[in-house]
Formats: sequence, structure tokens, C-alpha cells
Amino acid sequence: MDLLNIFVKWAFVENMVLAYFLGMCSYLAVSKTVKTAFGLGLAVIFVLAITAPVNYLIRQYVLVEGALSWIHPSLATVDLTFLQLIIFIAVIASMVQLVEMIIEKASPALYNSLGIFLPLITVNCSILGGSLFMVQKEYNLIESSVFGVGAGFGFFLAIIAIAAIREKIRYSHVPAPLRGLGIAFIITGLMGIAFMSFMGIKL
Amino acid sequence: MSEVAEKKAVVATPREPLFSTKNRKLLTDPFDDNNPITVQVLGICSALAVTTQVYPALVMAISVVFVCAFANLAIALMRKGIPPRIRMIVQLVVIATLVTIVDQMLKAFAYDVSKELSVFVGLIITNCIVMGRLEAFAMGSKPWPAFLDGIGNGLGYGAILIVVAVCREFFGAGTILGYKLIPEAIYSAGYVDNGVMLTPAAAMFVIGILIWIQRSRNTKLVDIS
Amino acid sequence: MADINSNKYTIGYVVVMTLIVAISLAFMATELKPRQQAEEALEKKKQILNSVSDIQDKSIVEKEYPKLIKEVVVDAQGKPVEGVNAFDIDIKKEYRKPASERQLPVYIYSGDGNAKSYIIPLHGNGLWDEIWGFVALKDDFNTIVGTSFDHKGETPGLGAEITKDWFQSQFVGKKLEDGKAYAFDILKGRGNAIEGKVHLVDGMSGATITGDGVEDMIEKGYKSYQAYFKTVK
Repeated sequence: MDLLNIFVKWAFVENMVLAYFLGMCSYLAVSKTVKTAFGLGLAVIFVLAITAPVNYLIRQYVLVEGALSWIHPSLATVDLTFLQLIIFIAVIASMVQLVEMIIEKASPALYNSLGIFLPLITVNCSILGGSLFMVQKEYNLIESSVFGVGAGFGFFLAIIAIAAIREKIRYSHVPAPLRGLGIAFIITGLMGIAFMSFMGIKL
Repeated sequence: MSEVAEKKAVVATPREPLFSTKNRKLLTDPFDDNNPITVQVLGICSALAVTTQVYPALVMAISVVFVCAFANLAIALMRKGIPPRIRMIVQLVVIATLVTIVDQMLKAFAYDVSKELSVFVGLIITNCIVMGRLEAFAMGSKPWPAFLDGIGNGLGYGAILIVVAVCREFFGAGTILGYKLIPEAIYSAGYVDNGVMLTPAAAMFVIGILIWIQRSRNTKLVDIS
Repeated sequence: MADINSNKYTIGYVVVMTLIVAISLAFMATELKPRQQAEEALEKKKQILNSVSDIQDKSIVEKEYPKLIKEVVVDAQGKPVEGVNAFDIDIKKEYRKPASERQLPVYIYSGDGNAKSYIIPLHGNGLWDEIWGFVALKDDFNTIVGTSFDHKGETPGLGAEITKDWFQSQFVGKKLEDGKAYAFDILKGRGNAIEGKVHLVDGMSGATITGDGVEDMIEKGYKSYQAYFKTVK
């Protein structure tokens, strides 16, 4: 039950994109069509679902004070938390590099349409934010895996939603200079305000 | 590579002067035609997080100019040796190491400054402008143009940040840089600060409107699709 | 130059890069740690003092702290613990232990004549990251003398307002209990009618989650010290 709560909480109530406004860049830039949005959404779920538990393990068994005592008791006072940010980022970057290679082989068309925003998943703040939130909320291994999937799913939903809206809005009379990016910003703001209604839900 | 990258992948010829037309363009383009926020869609998250007030927006803008310029310079110097298969890891390690070193130094020698900046450290490392420019420009150009490109993009980003912050602080709290600008008389006449301006959603509206203004002036940016 | 696509080159590159980064960062961390810790300790002293006074100058903090503050450590039953330095206790780590094993630091301020203030440390979560602080209580262990809060990554202008004077000063004179139960509350947003209400303070517009975090950490801190308060009363 707790696990389901974590999932729902991070997919809806504390949606990375629409509640925390993280991961905006790729969210806005890659949401022109549902098809590419779908691809990016899946990539983000994959990266978050893997980096959250992996970073959890690294933090628990290498970084925190006393974590290295499983190697030798004399290492119990070593505190490597100052490396946390760099290590988290390195793990994320390697996962993204892997995803990039997979997509390039599996679907060159998707690879081309994602363009620079595929490598930029690395600095998609929702991914690093995910790892840091996991530390802050003190989740255990299983909870962090569920959290990773939930947060990724939240991003997936949000990007599909805006891509669908943007596909439809092409048929309405938006002033020419506002077309595309401009209206996307404003829609996102409105969606964010709509998502505020989830805020009162305590899970 | 993406269209952003192709557009910017100008390779400077060896004997051109330091501030040739092409190099000057690297500095001025990011203010309008190739603005990181309104055209390249980079660095949005941080633009939302630090623009509730003008002061943090200024601090963030200055930090990003520095980090962007020096990260671009470092990667342009290293570009020929970086193995393509691990290029992202190398780029990020360079950025994160630079930022961490500066952060640690400040913590030891200028603690009050570091306290002020600590909020921004994570935001700078994951600021897509820095990595976006590394990917799109620094990986394929000489150190000097890369350095200029970093400064230009940092400034273009900063300009938007400050405009957004001025709007949000003025309408959200009635102040600019902490100074009360709306006189008490107006408040007693029934004016209320608009609390919505302080939420990230309002920043999205402001940027959306900025894009609208920019594109009605600069019609070649209009999205025809 | 070697083929930069080969496995050998890639692996070699990774090894060299890791070594350079690890060595330079480890060097930085060990060389700078003593200085950083000294700065952090001074900052903590300043924060403790700021819950009862508004000394800003750090050289004065360093000089006055030992004169003004008496540090004690108590256990979960409120009995004093000997041989432990109260200042070095990290309240965040104590909260992770079961309640009966915690060692709780108390900072007793005796700057204003005879009346003592009891300063207890607080720690909790804001919207983005940790928040912490100190709350000073009168010897009725109900009335707030003052507070000081700080944060790691709250949004400037929203959650980061907890460090501002307007927010902290409204706690002065408020009461945590109404005689029967814990009653203190931080409201949503600013401009609430709190005139004359001893259990309520204003929150921050657009930062309800950070405000809730402050409320939770005060309640958590206050409740962990109940046994100690009873022994002193």
C-alpha cells in the first residue's frame, strides 16, 4: 500500500513537471508531436527508474559516513558525501549515453527528431532532482525504485498531455507570433495551476 | 546533430581578428535571434526557480555567464581527445568538478558568499544551457569562439531572467530589489499584490508573453508549422 | 593520435579522468575541511545566538558565545548526560535513532539578567531540501522568546523567506500550548488576521509546503524535549 502511495504521489500529486516545474526544457522542446513525446517519455521513465535505485545503492554503500565499513572497519569514519552530486551526475550521464546508443540503433527516426534533447536528458533537472529527492525523503531500495518509476511516469503523462494539446491547438486561431513555443509556455502554466488542486492530497 | 547545432556550428578560420564580425555575432545573437530561453528552449527550470525576485536572478545570471564561458573554453580545448562514446560523461564531469571546486573554495574562504550561492550550485550543474552549448557549439569549435559563445549565451539568458524577475517582483510583491515601489496610498485604495505572480506558473506566462513580443518584432522566428 | 573510438583509448581516458578528478577533489576536501568546519561552527553559534538576540558580527559571536550560552545534553528521560559535547551533536542524526536512545542538546541563554531562555535545535524538510533552526523558549516552556531558521535550497522570495526578519519576529511571544494540548499553527499565506491570537503566525505566500515544514519541525523538536522540560519545571 505504501508503495502504491509513493507511486501515485510522484506521478500525480508531486508531478515533477507540473508541480515542481522540473525538466522543463526537454518537456517544452520535444512536445511538438505525440510520437516524439512518447519516445522521450519512455526514455525518461527508463533513466529515472534505473538511476534512482542505483544512486541509492551507491549512496548507501559508498558515500555516506560509515558506509565503507563493509570493506574494512577502519573505514567507518570516511565520509564521501561531498562527492554525491558528481557521482549522481556521472551515473545519470552513463545511463543516458546508453539510452542514446540504444535509440540510435533501434529507431534512427526518433533519434533525429529528439536531436540535442536526447543528450540533454542528462541535465533534465527532473532526473537529478529525482535522485536528490530520494535522498531527502530517505527512501529504501524498493521505495526508491517505485519512486523512480512513479516520477518517470509523471513526466511521461505530462509530456504526452501537452503534446496532445499542442497537436490540437494547431487548428485554432492562435496569433502567429504566439504559435508553437509561446502558447506552449502559457498552456504549461495553466496546467501547472490545474495541478495545484492535487496539493491538498496527503498520501 | 540537431538543427540548433547545425545553425551554430561555424568554424572560425585561423587568421581572423579576435573580434571579427563573426565573433561579435556570437556575443549578440543570443540576445535575440538565438536566445537560449526563448529560441533554443534551454535553461527553463532555473529561469523559473530564481526569478521571484530580482536579486537572486542577478546572482544566477552572473554565475551562469562565468560557468558557461569557462566550461565552453575547457571543452573546446579538450574536444579533440574526448572519446565520442563517453562524451556526455566527460562534459558533465568537467562542469560538475569546476562548480564543486569553486563551491568548496568559497565555503572555506568566503563562507557568507557561499551560503548565498549554495542554492544555485545544483541549478548551475543541471542548467541545460551549459551542457546545451557544450554539445551544440564547444564540441566543434576553437577555444576563443567557444569562450565568446559561452559569454553571449550566459548574457542572453541573464537578460531574460532579469526581465522576468522584474515583472514577477513588481507585480507579485510591489518591490524591485527589495525597495517598495508601489506607494501605500495605492494599497489603501484597494490594490492587492498578485500572489499568483510568485508561483512558477506565472513565470511561464511571462516567458510566453515575452516570446510573443519578441516574435512579433522578429518575424523570422515565427513558427510556421 | 590514437584512435579515439577504440575501447582501449576510451577506457584509458576514463581512468585518467577519474584519477585527476578524484585526486583534486579529495585534496580540496581534506585541505579545506578544517577551515570549512570552523566556519560552519561559527555559523551555528551565530544562529543559536540569533534566536535570542540579533548579533550579526561574527567576531562578536565568537567572543560572546561562551559567556552567554551554557550547553547541556539530556537523554530521552530528561536526565543530563555527562561527557558529551552538546555543540557537536547533529540533531538530524539523533532523530534517526529510536526516541529512547537520543541525546538531545539544550542551549541555555542567560544574557537578560535572571530570566533564562532554553534554546532547542530543530530540523526538518522544506520543499526542496533540508531546513533547520533554533527556537528559544521561556522557562514556562511554552512562550517563544525568539527563533532563527535557515535552509539549504528553498526558492528565493518564497520558501527562503523563513530566514527573513518579518517571518521570524512574528513568533516572539507566541505560545505553543493552550494549556491542554499543542496548539501552534503556521497559517497559509500572509495577511491573515492573527492580531491577538497567541497560537498563530502568518505563513509565506506561495510557500505553503515550506511553512508546513517549519511547523512540523517546531512540533517535532518541542515534543522530543517534553521529558526534559518536566524535570526543569
